[in-house]
Amino acid sequence: MSWVTIIWSMTASACLTLAAIYFLVWCRRRTAWADLLFTLISVGVAAFAFCELSMMQAATPAQFATALRWGHVPTWVIVVSLVGFVRLHMRTGRPWLGWSICALRTLALLLNFVTGQNLNFREVTHLRHVPFLGESVSLGVGVSNPYMLVGQLSLLLLVIFTVDAAITVWRRGDRRQALVTGGSIAFFALASIAQAVLVFWQILDWPLTASFFFLGIVLAMGYEMSRETLRAAQLSDDLRESHQRLDLAAQSARLGLWTWDIARDEIWATDNGRQLFGFGKSERINFARLMDSLHPADRESVSHAFAKSFNGNGDYESEHRVVVPGQPMRWIAARGTVEFNKAGKAVFMRGVSHDITERKRTEDALKESEARFRTVADNAPVLIWMAGTDKLCDFFNKGWLDFTGRTLEQELGNGWAEGVHPDDLAGCLKTYVAAFDARQPFTIEYRLRRHDGEYRWISDHGVPRHDSEGDFLGYIGSCVDLTERKQAEAEASRQRAELAHVSRVSVMGELSASMAHELNQPLTAILSNTQAAQRFLAADKLDRVEFDEILKDIVHDTTRARDVIRHLRALVKKSEREFVRVDVNEIIGQVIAFLHGDIVGRNVTVIQELAPELPLVLGDRTQLQQVLLNLLLNAFDAVGANRVRDRLVTVVTAMASSEMVRVAVRDGGVGIPADKLEEIFQPFFTTKTEGLGMGLSVSRSIVEGHGGRLSAENNPGPGATFSFTLPAVVQN
Amino acid sequence: MNQPDPIVFVVDDDASVRKSLSRLLRSGGYTAETFASATEFLASGRHQQSPACLVLDVRMPGLTGMELQERLRALKSTLAIIFITGHGDIPMSVEAMKGGAVDFLPKPFDDTQLLAAVAKAIAKSAHDRQTRGEIESIQERLATLTPREREVLELVVRGMLNKQVAADLGTVEKTIKVHRARVMEKMQVQSLAELVRLAERVGIGGARDQSSVISNP
Repeated sequence: MSWVTIIWSMTASACLTLAAIYFLVWCRRRTAWADLLFTLISVGVAAFAFCELSMMQAATPAQFATALRWGHVPTWVIVVSLVGFVRLHMRTGRPWLGWSICALRTLALLLNFVTGQNLNFREVTHLRHVPFLGESVSLGVGVSNPYMLVGQLSLLLLVIFTVDAAITVWRRGDRRQALVTGGSIAFFALASIAQAVLVFWQILDWPLTASFFFLGIVLAMGYEMSRETLRAAQLSDDLRESHQRLDLAAQSARLGLWTWDIARDEIWATDNGRQLFGFGKSERINFARLMDSLHPADRESVSHAFAKSFNGNGDYESEHRVVVPGQPMRWIAARGTVEFNKAGKAVFMRGVSHDITERKRTEDALKESEARFRTVADNAPVLIWMAGTDKLCDFFNKGWLDFTGRTLEQELGNGWAEGVHPDDLAGCLKTYVAAFDARQPFTIEYRLRRHDGEYRWISDHGVPRHDSEGDFLGYIGSCVDLTERKQAEAEASRQRAELAHVSRVSVMGELSASMAHELNQPLTAILSNTQAAQRFLAADKLDRVEFDEILKDIVHDTTRARDVIRHLRALVKKSEREFVRVDVNEIIGQVIAFLHGDIVGRNVTVIQELAPELPLVLGDRTQLQQVLLNLLLNAFDAVGANRVRDRLVTVVTAMASSEMVRVAVRDGGVGIPADKLEEIFQPFFTTKTEGLGMGLSVSRSIVEGHGGRLSAENNPGPGATFSFTLPAVVQN
Repeated sequence: MNQPDPIVFVVDDDASVRKSLSRLLRSGGYTAETFASATEFLASGRHQQSPACLVLDVRMPGLTGMELQERLRALKSTLAIIFITGHGDIPMSVEAMKGGAVDFLPKPFDDTQLLAAVAKAIAKSAHDRQTRGEIESIQERLATLTPREREVLELVVRGMLNKQVAADLGTVEKTIKVHRARVMEKMQVQSLAELVRLAERVGIGGARDQSSVISNP
């Protein structure tokens, strides 16, 4: 065995081994055309190596010419495959150049068989034997074939084509591929051209060794291909990893992933997906089964959503309910994309579904709460508005709209300001903006135009709104029509003046007896003293000391009488009493309403503990009002020095016995000294700087005039309780 | 009559009134004692004094004048009462007079009014005291009669003849004569007219019967 035989055989077998491997790879993956082309190149190189060996060992010129002629077949395969490989594997190369190379090479193959003995020689005349690797090898000598240029031109174009492709790949950023694949193909192709030219133009006394150069190309390509394979393995690992991550994410997000092979009507879903729709783990799912699981009311809308995605841009989106027997109804949201084939027909769909029941429930609760708010707001007997954080109003209730007679659209934003009286607008806006910026509650009074064109006085009270996190949301305000209240206040004040007048009138009547008594006491003393003095004088028994004392006493009693007259002057003459059936609770309500100004002004809290279904009493409404007025005003005075939260006055009504109604006014004041409990009912007893001291005295007269009793007692706790009884009207 | 000096009690809650009345009474020759309340007066025990007069205010805190009058009557006092009041009315004065008051003076009153009333009251008190002594003596004598003698007395003072009395009591005229003699003896009277007068003093015999007595002397 010679070295030449060993080396060329090894070259061929190496190429065949690579070809076998990549042929098997291609068989498993028919779309990998680069693998097939690499196989063809490798087989071509092996065949060419065999032809070269035959040429070197040829015994006759005819044998040499035949081996060379058949050597062009693998060369054609190699060149055409290389063009294809560059296009497919490097994904570049100018097509016209590629086609030109293939055409020229095919032409060269035809010329190889039809002109002369082969493409290189018209005729091989004899053989020369030259030493090569320590032995003698045959070398053809004869007439050269000029068409040999066609073959060499095709190889030159292949070099240009490859260099051009390599530059593109280089620019694309894949420099290693450009150098290894592009560079090696170009280099070894150029080398083989050079050697062929030198050998066939008989300049070099060497045998043809192009298969070595081709082997270089094959090895470079093989190296590149193996890197591709490694990378594919790496990608596959990465893909598995990312698939697992996706699975985990879907699992933890409770997402159900699914695909739908539309052509075969098969649906695949992850376990989560199957759970969402209530499908069994191994149950076969198709479109009809999917539809079955939906709430009947949602089937049409889901079908519609699918149809829309098939006919439109392929995006699918829907929200629907799922009914799984034995489980509560669930809301599901789904998203997906459709894959179309070249004909534009939907063939495949991928998607994801997830449970939105909780969100739906929250949305429903929110809607319900919103609806409730609207109902309340629209039925409230006040005007209500709301503003966002931008100070612009975004809500007005029905009350407001009915009042102004305008539409919501007209009032929104700053539209409401059009209804404010021009004289009030500036002040109104100033207060609003200042309070808004400070996030403070505010109250504004302004005139607002009513639907009939009349400007009405409005009291507008606004407070800032916050969400559960405490974030500022805007303002909400309510308004009341003050005009009527102002009129009512004026009316109440007029009634109060009238009542005060009437009560003074009636006070006098009730008082006449006790007034007479009060006046008669000093008069009696004066008269008796004077007449005693006269008698002593007449009897000449009056000494100076006695006389002095008598005069002093007369002066004292005269002063006393003058004071009584002075108080009397403050009162007027009596009016007729009118006894009718009255409801004590009602009178209490009237008096408290009547005292509203005092209650508010003095910051007093009046608690009413009124017995329901209290029998009526026979009495004079005005007089009873006067009694309650006196007792309440006294109680207010009693608690006046307390802290505001302790300024409590309680009015209680109850049955004292089966025929008496009891009314009590309890205060939390300082109480009454025990020795004054009776004295306070005496006329002109007063602790106040201004006041007649007649209130309790008159009140007692009135109550007694009604057949009842008025008394005072100190509470176990702070303060005193004044209570009076009135006979109930007997029900027949 | 041999009597102690008359005393006038004044009960009024008004100090000025008390002082001035005391002075006025003194100018009229009376001794005056003043009290600020009915309770104070009762507690003093002076109400047993007789003959005496009480000038009493109607309206007072605590025990009122009318209530004091009630108490005194229960105590069989012979104190004569003059009511004074700052705001008297008719029903109240009728009530007071029915209760035995001597007078009812609305304040203010003249010295003559008061002094005349006081004089009248003291006289009444003295008279009452005397009357009470006589009645007590008659009642003592009445108590000595047997029940039968009492029956006979009651019928005789009505002006019935012995015969009629006997018929009424279901006995004979002679027996009645004996009873009648014993009655006259026990009652220490000499004539029928005297017996009738005694009976009248203690309330035995009616108005109709009295007229029959007059028509039949």
